[in-house]
Amino acid sequence: MDTIISPIALYLICVLGAVGIAAALPRRNNAASIAGGLVLASAIGLAVLILGLGATKSGQPLPNYFFYPFAILALGASARMITHPRPVYSALYFILTIIASCGMYLLLSAEFMAFALVIIYAGAILITYLFVIMLATQAPSSAAEAFIDETDAVAREPVLASIIGFVLLAILTTAMFRGVSTLPAPTNQELAQDSVLLNLPTKVDRILDRAGILTESERVVRNADGTAALDIAARTITIENTDLNTIRVLGPDQWPDTLNAGNLDRLGYNLMHDHPMTIEIAGIILLMAMLGATVLARKHIELEDDLKAAQARKLGESMDQSMEAGNA
Amino acid sequence: MDTTSSLHLAQMAFPDAVPAITLAHYLFVSAAMFTMGLVGFLTRRNMIIMFLCTELMFQGAGLALIAFGRHHLGADGQTFVIFVLCVAAAEAAMALALVVLLFRHKETLSAQAWKELNG
Amino acid sequence: MINTTLLSNLLAFAPDTHAATTHATDHAIAATEVGTGPKWILLIVGLPLLSSILSLVYAMIGNKTKLPAWTTVAAAGTAFLCTIAMYLNFDGTPYTVHAFDWIQVHFGEKSMIANFSFYIDTLTIYWMLFVTGLATCIALYASEYMSHDIGTSYCRFFGAFGLFVFSMACLVMGDNFLMLYLGWEGVGLCSYLLIGYFYKKPEAVAAAKKAFIVNRIGDLGLALGIYLIFVHFGTLEYAVLFSDPKLLGYVDSAMTGNFAAIPAIAQWIPLLLMIGAFGKSAQFPLYVWLPDAMEGPTPVSALIHAATMVTAGVYLIARTYPLFLASESALPIVAWIGTITALLAATIGMAQFDIKRIMAYSTVSQLGYMFAGLGVLTPTGGAYHVLTHAFFKALLFLCCGAVMHGFAGQLDLRKLSGLRKVKGWGIVSLGMFVGCINLAGVPFTAGYFSKDTIIAETFVTPGYSMIGWILLFTAGLTAYYTFRVFFRVFMGPVEYHPGEEHHDDDHGHDDHAEDHGHAGDFHPHAPGWAINTVLMILTVCSIAATGLYFVGGDKDAHTKHYAQTMVMSSTAAFESPYSEHAIHAAHEAHTPNAGAGPRGTIDHALEVPVFGGDPHKMMYYISAGFGIVGIALAWFLHLFGRTNAAECKMDPIARMFGPIPKWAENKWYVDEIYWAILVTPLRVASHIFHWIDKLLVDGIVNLFGILPRVFAWVIRPSQSGVLQGYAVSMAGGIAILLLAVFVIILQGGAS
Repeated sequence: MDTIISPIALYLICVLGAVGIAAALPRRNNAASIAGGLVLASAIGLAVLILGLGATKSGQPLPNYFFYPFAILALGASARMITHPRPVYSALYFILTIIASCGMYLLLSAEFMAFALVIIYAGAILITYLFVIMLATQAPSSAAEAFIDETDAVAREPVLASIIGFVLLAILTTAMFRGVSTLPAPTNQELAQDSVLLNLPTKVDRILDRAGILTESERVVRNADGTAALDIAARTITIENTDLNTIRVLGPDQWPDTLNAGNLDRLGYNLMHDHPMTIEIAGIILLMAMLGATVLARKHIELEDDLKAAQARKLGESMDQSMEAGNA
Repeated sequence: MDTTSSLHLAQMAFPDAVPAITLAHYLFVSAAMFTMGLVGFLTRRNMIIMFLCTELMFQGAGLALIAFGRHHLGADGQTFVIFVLCVAAAEAAMALALVVLLFRHKETLSAQAWKELNG
Repeated sequence: MINTTLLSNLLAFAPDTHAATTHATDHAIAATEVGTGPKWILLIVGLPLLSSILSLVYAMIGNKTKLPAWTTVAAAGTAFLCTIAMYLNFDGTPYTVHAFDWIQVHFGEKSMIANFSFYIDTLTIYWMLFVTGLATCIALYASEYMSHDIGTSYCRFFGAFGLFVFSMACLVMGDNFLMLYLGWEGVGLCSYLLIGYFYKKPEAVAAAKKAFIVNRIGDLGLALGIYLIFVHFGTLEYAVLFSDPKLLGYVDSAMTGNFAAIPAIAQWIPLLLMIGAFGKSAQFPLYVWLPDAMEGPTPVSALIHAATMVTAGVYLIARTYPLFLASESALPIVAWIGTITALLAATIGMAQFDIKRIMAYSTVSQLGYMFAGLGVLTPTGGAYHVLTHAFFKALLFLCCGAVMHGFAGQLDLRKLSGLRKVKGWGIVSLGMFVGCINLAGVPFTAGYFSKDTIIAETFVTPGYSMIGWILLFTAGLTAYYTFRVFFRVFMGPVEYHPGEEHHDDDHGHDDHAEDHGHAGDFHPHAPGWAINTVLMILTVCSIAATGLYFVGGDKDAHTKHYAQTMVMSSTAAFESPYSEHAIHAAHEAHTPNAGAGPRGTIDHALEVPVFGGDPHKMMYYISAGFGIVGIALAWFLHLFGRTNAAECKMDPIARMFGPIPKWAENKWYVDEIYWAILVTPLRVASHIFHWIDKLLVDGIVNLFGILPRVFAWVIRPSQSGVLQGYAVSMAGGIAILLLAVFVIILQGGAS
């Protein structure tokens, strides 16, 4: 059976992780929290080590080191996030997790999503969280600076939750390490990305024009289905002269360096071309969330009866005035 | 430098090493993040932290989506992450509004304070 | 006309007599043309209903006068006048009067039509004449009789009274079986309401319930019979049914004794209708309610439970006589049940001491005569007896009511004596005497002739002579117990005791000198003008009814007297080939009769004299003999040498019979037997079923009710309200599910 990592090692990691988390979760007078943290750290370290060794099996020693610090950072920060008794620290650790994930997004050639994540998650959502945490938590007085709210200080059934969580993890990892291939080469990724150019003939025209390849009346030939007449693999471009009705073919040597599609082109095209309805739905969801949040968080003010009457009088007067103004 | 160069930047030093990182590596990290989010959701009593943990689970799912997108050389994975982001933002807005509302009522963030909603 | 049709069918077996016995030899089965009558006939039905509604209005506005009584008298009187007008305008052709469309259901080729319309023929007129006439008289009587109760109860009485007349009119005049059923149930309801009029008296409530429940048994039979009529003949309307060729064919078959040609369903119809008639007309075994019904006010007993409602069964059978002819067993059963009832009720009546109860049993007994008359193929005799009985029995009841009214509820004949000599009681005594001689069958009274018509018929119809002897014996008993009442209450030494309704302050002391009673301060109050007037009218009517035996004959139709004329031109038209006029007709034709009769072979029966002579002539003497012997016995045992109210010569003789008089006084323990064999088992069964229902059925239902609660109790702790509790369950469930899936996949991969 083609397993990259021995299941026994994986289960060991899962058990260590579970024990570590269970020990490290906040409790009153938790003596085991340091030890739990250590166990957890060792579990993460072991996991990363074994992942590296698993990668070694494929032939290349210790490849792509950037993955490992990001993985350690992400897992460590998320572990700390769920074990830290203070909500503010949890939120900060979550930001760290997000930044580590962004690193991995970059490794996975998802540059746009990486930066979008930083901007939206770390920049917007988590800041909102921090605001709410500050709003909804009494500021600790100087006398009880070390005081931590009961809600935060004591975890609820940590053992049971850890067992359930890590059983799930074990099952998932068992499944995912069975016969999974390596990722495709970056060259293929670039070719795949460039294939979006077929669908964007105007963009091709513009790039070729900037590169000074096209004359005034020339443009890329459109196929019958509206795609540009490019051969991505062979790197040839077919160009027509609309005035003279002549056709010329550019070879790979004439392929300009600037004529390639980026992650953004691809993502944008995919988003707009394949999922327009989903965008609409997402828009509606966001609008509803905005309205809902406004309605929910609104403060209900109970006016006294005389205040209400005063308010009504004021409204009536203003209406009278406006009517008078209208009549005048 | 155009956008595609960032990929080259990340992999410049180790051009041949990239294939060695398998899909499973990323999936393991994403599964571990999801699990920790789950454990946190189950154990922590503070509603804000519980919502943070759901965000962590979103994050695990997003990483898996991106990895699979890379595996299939498609853009759908990233598109889905955009939608996950949308839902996460909407959920955060609603959830935080709710938290504020609930906190106003009971002066506590504990989820157990709302036990009487058991129906 | 139907009567001629039936007659010709009947006599088809004797073609030689055909021409002589029927004036119309035309064998047309063609339906009688039923015309449309004038709308004012609806007044007969509408006015009583209006008076009933008005009485209720009076009750609502708190009327404290006799207004309801006068309203009812006026309504019933107008209805009576309308009936007379209807009679005088009647030209011999039946017609219908349409009030409004009631039920018209069409399905497929069948349609059920039951309009609110009325069928007028001679039978209807005959019945309506005495129903409305008696209703008027008795309403007048009740206006005085019920005067103790002036107020809401008075209104209630006359409300129910008016409703009764309306229902009876619907019953008799309706042109379809559904109208008949409406009226049938309506009179049952009014009977229930009026028996239970004194609803604070437990006996009255029990009697009302008994009457209602016993009548339900009969009504079930009637309802099923009507249903079968619709199923078999496809119609409920008289006009259509009695001209249905199918039915006429059945009657033809029956006349030749070929009952195998008649389908069983058609033979079942009369049996079911008969059960309804037995219930309403208090025939054995459903007669038990009628004596108890005397708990109601006496006018009610007179009108409903003696004169009109209880004859509804006779009317039903007379109206559907062709259906009964088409059944092999229905008429013999009717005859025998009627005979048994007559004898049984007479024996019970002999031993009773409550004069109203004696009259009640005599009513049952006389109804038995009527049924016997119907059963032995003389609807004429039955109908004539209905008429005469209606007058003299109403008279007797009203006299008893006057006694009861005057003597504070006293009805025991051992405590009343010699009322004839009490001042102011002359008219009551005269009325009682006339009623008694009619009931006893003293020669040349109406009751004498009507009873003889029936008894004579039993002797000439083959196979029924046993019934004839029983009825003759019963006639003797009737004469005896009738005059037992008269001799003890109205003759002999004057003596009276007040009943239990007497209160000292009810009547002031006055100058009544004939206070021979032992209740020193009691003075009976004599009946007032209303009661006396009504008693006079009814006395005259009872005597005048005799005349109907001699007038009203129709030479063309070969009918001898009024009742026969009326019956012979209606749907009840049927005359036995053995009947007097048929024989005379045969004699006139000088033709020996031969051939198969409806109920066996006649052979030369028509020529065979009974008791050595023409049975119809002989019966006058024989029946008179039985009656006079009965009266003589009553005179000797109950009047001759009697010195006080309580004792007579009968007492030692009764002791000689041992316990038998006691049994008769206790009504042969029929009620107790019913109680033992019907009510008690039903009660036991209902208790058993109650417990089965409670333990088994409810138990199962409750078990199914408890199961979800137990289940909920088991899983309730999981609904703690803590969000993470639910999340743990969910995540744990997912984990277990995935684990199971992977185990299965791993095993599959291994194999």
